[in-house]
Order: sequence, then C-alpha cells, then structure tokens
Amino acid sequence: MYLRYLVLSSLTIVLFNLKLIKPLEANEFEDTASLNMYGMPGIIELPSATNLPDGQMSISSTVFGGTIRVNLSFQVLENLTGAFRYARIPGGSYSGYTWDRSFDLHYSLNREKAFVPAIAIGLRDFIGTGIYTGEYLVASKSLGSKLNVSAGIGWGRLAGENRFDNVFGSKSRKGLDVGKGGTFHFGHLFTGNNSPFFSVSYKINEKMKFISELSSDSYHRETSSPKGFTRRSDINLGIKYEVDPTFTLIATWMHGDALGISVNMGINPKNSPYYSGTEPAPMPILQEKYRSQERKLKREILDESQRLLGLDGIELKTMTLFGGTAKVGIINRKYINISQMIGRVVRILSLTTPSDIKEFQINIIDFKSNLFLSEIVVKREIFERSELKFNGPEKLWETVLVSNSKDSFFYGEEDGIERFSWSLYPYIDTSLFDPDDPIRFTVGAELLTKYKFLASTSISGSLRQPIAGTLDDIKRDPKTGLPNVRSDFMYYHRDISSNLFINYLTLDQYLKLSSNLYALVNIGFLELMHAGVRAEVIWKNNKKPYGFGLDIAQVQKRGTDGGFKLKNEHFNTYLASVYYDLQNDWIIKIDGGRYLAGDFGSTISIKRSFNNGWEFGAYATLTDVPFETWGEGSFDKGITIKAPINWFTGKKSRSYANAIIKPITGDGGAKLNLSEENYLYYRVSEYSNKNILDNWTRVFR
Amino acid sequence: MRLLPLIILFITFLSACTSDDVVKSEKEELLGIFKKITNRSISKDKNVIQSSPFPNSKKWLEQFKQPIILISSPDKKNQATLVSLGNNEERLTWVSSDGISLSYDDGVLIATRGYSQDLLSLRYKKPKKIFSSSYLEYDKTHRYLNGENRYNEIHFKCTGKKMALRSIEIVEYTLMVDRYVETCVSAKHKYVNEYDLLSGTTVVLKSKQWVSPINRYFLTYNLYALQQF
Repeated sequence: MYLRYLVLSSLTIVLFNLKLIKPLEANEFEDTASLNMYGMPGIIELPSATNLPDGQMSISSTVFGGTIRVNLSFQVLENLTGAFRYARIPGGSYSGYTWDRSFDLHYSLNREKAFVPAIAIGLRDFIGTGIYTGEYLVASKSLGSKLNVSAGIGWGRLAGENRFDNVFGSKSRKGLDVGKGGTFHFGHLFTGNNSPFFSVSYKINEKMKFISELSSDSYHRETSSPKGFTRRSDINLGIKYEVDPTFTLIATWMHGDALGISVNMGINPKNSPYYSGTEPAPMPILQEKYRSQERKLKREILDESQRLLGLDGIELKTMTLFGGTAKVGIINRKYINISQMIGRVVRILSLTTPSDIKEFQINIIDFKSNLFLSEIVVKREIFERSELKFNGPEKLWETVLVSNSKDSFFYGEEDGIERFSWSLYPYIDTSLFDPDDPIRFTVGAELLTKYKFLASTSISGSLRQPIAGTLDDIKRDPKTGLPNVRSDFMYYHRDISSNLFINYLTLDQYLKLSSNLYALVNIGFLELMHAGVRAEVIWKNNKKPYGFGLDIAQVQKRGTDGGFKLKNEHFNTYLASVYYDLQNDWIIKIDGGRYLAGDFGSTISIKRSFNNGWEFGAYATLTDVPFETWGEGSFDKGITIKAPINWFTGKKSRSYANAIIKPITGDGGAKLNLSEENYLYYRVSEYSNKNILDNWTRVFR
Repeated sequence: MRLLPLIILFITFLSACTSDDVVKSEKEELLGIFKKITNRSISKDKNVIQSSPFPNSKKWLEQFKQPIILISSPDKKNQATLVSLGNNEERLTWVSSDGISLSYDDGVLIATRGYSQDLLSLRYKKPKKIFSSSYLEYDKTHRYLNGENRYNEIHFKCTGKKMALRSIEIVEYTLMVDRYVETCVSAKHKYVNEYDLLSGTTVVLKSKQWVSPINRYFLTYNLYALQQF
C-alpha cells in the first residue's frame, strides 16, 4: 500500500515538476509559497488574506500527528479560491481513523494597499461531514519587504481555544445535521463563539521564510484519539522553502508536539512552458509575382497541396476549384488550435492554387465520424496582405465567415476511407476514496479496434486485459434503496479480476439531418455495465454560442464477467441538454430528464475553459431521490480536469489528459459512462465561430 | 507470483503499437514528457542555433546556390543558415532547416515563428526613414502571445543614432559601414540594437537585434548581399 502511495506521489510530483526544469523568467504565474497545510491561502494551518494567481491549480499534501491531507485547490476567479480535500483524521472506525472529504472557499474582499491590509473571508468544509468546518475573517499586511502579519477571527473549528462571544451576536453554534454528508450547510455559518488567531512570516532570504502562528484550533478529535497527538501549545512554528514558484516545502513543529511536512505544487494553465509553442514555422507567403506562373492540372494542384498540408499534419481529402473559389475538405488531427490550423491551410493553398482563385472555402471533416462540421471562408488577398502586419489577424477576421458546413459526409473515393484501425496500449483504471484503500487502480493492456463499413457507419470496440492492480479487491457493497445501475461497479471488477473483458463494442451510425442537426446512434455493449441502444441528437449553429441536445438510451445490465452475457435488468434514460459558451471563459451545460435508475432531475456542469485547451469544471446532479435514499454523499457531484498534451510538449497535438474526481459513486443521477468524444456537441462546437475567434491570435503563428 | 504481472506489464509497454501514425505520435509525445523530465531537457527542445565553428570564408559562402542569411548567438558560438522562402511586399521570410522562420523588413526583424516566445508582429517606423536619419525618436510595439493565446504587447520608446563610419569584416570581405544604434526602453525592458549599414546607404549588412524577453538578442548577417550566383 505504501509502495503504491510512493509511486503515485512520485508520478504526481513528476507531472507538476515539468515547470521546475524550465526557468520562469517572464511569467511567474505560480505561487505555491502562499498555500497553507489545507491547500488554501495561508501560513501553516491558519488562513491569510492573500490570493493565488488567477487560474492556478495546486496539489498539496500534508502529514503530521496522524493526519494526512491531500488538497486540490483552484483559483476559480481572481478573488475566489476553492479547494477539495481528502483527509485521514485520527479517531474513527477505519483502523482508528476517519477518511473525510471536504470543500473550502476563500474570497478576497480587499487587496493590500499602502496603508490598508488585505482582507478575506472564508468557509472551511462547508459541504460534507463538517469535521473541519469553520469560518474566518482575516486581514494581512506586509511590514517592509520581509515581514508579513495576519490576524483574524475564526468560528467553528477555528474557535476551539481562546474563545469569546460572537462579534455578530449569535452566541451558540447552531447544530450541524450532516445527514449522509455531501450537502451544503449554511445555517451554522459564523455562529457560536469566535476566537482570534495570528500568524507571522519573515523572509529569511529569497527561498526561505520563517513562519509562526497562534492557532485557535483545539484539535479535539485528533487529541482524543490514540492515533493523534498531544496539543501542548497554541503555537505552530515552521520553515517554508520555495524551491521554485511551482514547488514549496513546509516543515513545521505543530502545537509543541508533532512534526509536520507539507509539499505544495502548482501549475497555471496561463503560463505555458513553451510560450507560443515550438511547432515548426508555417509556410511563408510568396507574392504572386514570385510564384511559378506555370498552368497546372487540377490533379497536380491537389497532389501538391496534399503533400504540403501532409507535412503540416493536415489531411486534404477533397478539392474543387470553381469560379474563383477553392473549396477543400480537410481532416485536422494535429492542431488543437483551429485558427492556427486554418492559417496554415490558407498559406499552402495560396502557394499551390492558381492566381485567379480569390477565396478559400475550408470544410472541416470530423475524423471519427466523417461528418462535415464547419466551413470557414477566407479571402486570399486579405490574408496575404495581413500576413506580417501588426494588426493582421484583426483585419483578416473582419472578412472571415464561419458557418456549419452544408455538406453531410465525406464519402471519399473507394480507397479514401481508412477502413480498419487498431491500437494496443497500456491502460489504467482508478477508483478513489475507498476508506479501505483510498487509491485503487488496475493497469493492463487495451486493444482498440475500429472498422468503417461506410463513411458514416462503423463498429468499434475495446478489449481489455487487466494485469495488475487492486480494483478487484473492493470490499464495499453496492448502495441500497435504488436499482443498482452504477454503485455495484465493484462486482464487475471482482468478477473480471485478471480475465480478458469487453470494455465496449458498438455499432455506430452518424447522421446529419440538416446543416445544424447532427445525430449519433450506438448499438451494442455501450460500456462496462450496460448494453443496448443509445441515440443522441444535437442542434448547433456554429455562429451561435449555444446549442441543444437530446440523449436517449434503452439499456440492459451486462453480466459482471465483462463478456457477452446480459442480466435481466432493463433501464431507460432520456436527458435534454442546453449548452452555452459564455462570452468569458466559462461553459455551462444543463441536463434535465430521467436518469438511469428511473429518477428525474437535473445536472448542472460548469467549467472554466482556458484558450489553450485547459479546462477545470465541476458538476452536480440533483434528482427526486431523497438524500437519505441516495446514501453517503447525498447526491452525485464531481470535479473535472482536462489538460492538453501540447501544453506540456510545445508541439502540435490534439490529445488530452482527462481526470474526473468523483467523491462517491451512487445510483441516483447516474448516466451512461461514455467518454466525451461520444458526445457530438463538443466535436461540433470546437469549430464554432467563438472558438475560432478566441484563438484567432494564432492564425499567422 | 508478483513478478509475473510486472513482466507482462513491461512487455505490454514494449509491444505497444498501432496502425495509426497520429495515435502513435501522440502516445510517443506522452511518453516523451516523462523522458524529457528524466533528461531534464524540456527547455532545450528547439535549439535553432547549432553549435559549430563560426563560418567566415568566401569558400564556405560559395557553396550556397541560393540567397542565405546567417544568424548567430551574440557570443558567435552557435549559428544557423536560413534560406528565403517568403516574399511579401518586400518583407522577406527566411527559414531554417529545423523549421524556425525569421521575417525582416529592410533588415529589421519584424517576426519570428517556431522560436518558443515568438515575436508575433512588430509596430515600427519604416526602416529606410530611420536609417537615413542621423538622430530620430520613435515608438515601437512588440507583440507576443501569452500562454493563453492572448496578446502581450510591450511598448517601447526608442531613439536611433547614426555613429561614425567604421570597417567590419564579413566572410573575408572588409567593408565600410555606418553603425546605427537603436536604444529602446519600456516599463520593464530595455534593449540596444545595432545595425551596420553599407556606408552611405540604408542596406543592413549585419545587425544585433533583440527578439523577446526570453530569447534576448541574436546577430544577423545578410550574406545574400555578398553572394554571387
């Protein structure tokens, strides 16, 4: 078990340390030295009124006196920090400990000015069991260049010692009925006694700070447990060592009794280690008078364009020249940045097509479905004139047209479609937050195959061979009170164990009903636990920032051995969705309808989308299932993270690393477990007017 | 017993393969991230300028059958030759063999591509006007992209001064040049560019120009002015 922690911790450190080996000279957006041992702005345990840089994601881990905390925090807005935490707390039924999840919020009310301190307000553990629950108001001020002091008052857990009457008048702390956990609690906030707390940090040198605080946390639970520690003093002392803005170590002496160690790591999507990227330069524009004036056959133009675009990783599938227009159909499998890809296509077409071509109509073909998604029209002369101009991208955009492609499918020539494709690679499957073993995983080999019968029809499958792991050792049982559509996942892992199994095997039919209306039908073994028929229809006008979808499925539970057997358990689900890309960096999706277990309700998903492909999001599903029936966690919720690989490599690539952190798996609000690429909306909206405009800065990159 | 799964896993990693070149390159890139960390070479990926002895002979120049420029680090320890591939309203774009391009307008660097912190574009005064003056004050704006693909513009106040006539040696040619020194200052940055102009003209033979806060300076030798075809 400890070996697994070591391996996974090392892996995390390696991923986050990508930035350590690149000196941060220009954009030092990360600041991990401002994190405390809760992964929030603060000194040791106490909060401070500082803020993290906008967009920073931090992972921190703390060990002291029997407590282990792993914190994931995110600077949601310039003034708002949020954190999710998983902690092992002394005192409880799992070998003398409790494993607990908690969420925090910290809001900066005022930034520090010459004579005014920074002021912040915060809530600790405001969703969940409330073991860490507490609220605070804190002010921080720098005194000279080396000294920083913070003082505040705390409620709840932060009012364990040195208490006095509530400054707001509410003397008794209102009771906290956590029920099954996982719900919001507001009634008790800022009630009961409060305590003062103080902290100070002194900068010894550029890397090191001496830190100290007078803590008001009584650690009642921890000090009552033999697994905990003895609280001998209110004072915590420590040293913060900033290895790099992305990496800070904290060593502490906690309450006169326990040695504490904390590691803080941060990454900021805004701060790419490769700045504008290291992809090879695009083909430069050669003015007409310098180009070959030799008249070429259409076939020769197509071949040359295909060759040059191929060098740039873009597949040219169709080309028609008519009345001053070159209409092309392309597949983009390399560029995450659509504007950059468009720029490269136009550069090459302006080199290969005759001078009488005045306009390029670029039609995007989706590689997976062969659907024509979007059409981008660019004026040749304006593109060429804007190439090296200071305001070139802005001038060019005024004449660019983006719309849904009128064509339906790329049918290709007889040999134009690559019918069969396969890959064999390792896979990893994880399950988090099981108190018996908080990090469970299985690694193995996965064979992915796909055969395209027709342009719009294919069969695809995933065959997995588990090799090593602990997912087959989950000791918990499914939840009760609702049909087990998801919470009995452990039976599948147990029965599959180390046997070969079918992860999915589906016949996929794509349809384009009009230029804005797309559909997908999947039939077969849709995922590990369900087989049946699923249909998705979406409406998306690429000129509009919103879209609509409908997802319907009639499924039957699969046998737990991952083979071809089906159980006599039938379910159906239908969900209507509204998608909205807000003008700022936020994307909202709201689903409503019937979920797999037959419950009715709604899911709201919100994510902050960075222009370079990074996404941080959260979702919550509330249905007509009472929290008591849903069980531990009360309702379905989670955090999503999407990281583009090209951010780490500086090279062109469309692949992503995805993670979903889901505290508890239940049956209420359950959906089919499909990957994002099975949802049409995101594939269509990638080529929308908004997405192209947001990145138009790269059209000449 | 525990060794067997590890061996199978190791073999799986070794035998990982695909029929699709794009999937293959994506998987390799992912693996490459870990390899780079091991080698601690993430920032050395794109070293346009190769380390080799500084080429300084007519014989070396004669081997090129098309116009070239030579760029070099300020200490002359690393250099690369670039060929012209683009010509847009007299702005020339030169490309290196490993995919870096540099665009110049009458000898003034106005854009780079494939160079990490690229100079995306430049707002500048026409070089001929600057180089024909003995003293001039003017503004320049350098445009870069930040990590989120938004513009990061740096505004400079510049002064240009023509210095006394001097001689320089380029690939065994000794030439008389006017040195034009451009000093530019912004809120956070300062740079001093030097242009050696063929005496009595505005033709730039050699220059030392600032690219960006990260890439700093490099030297450009416009050798095409000395080539004979």
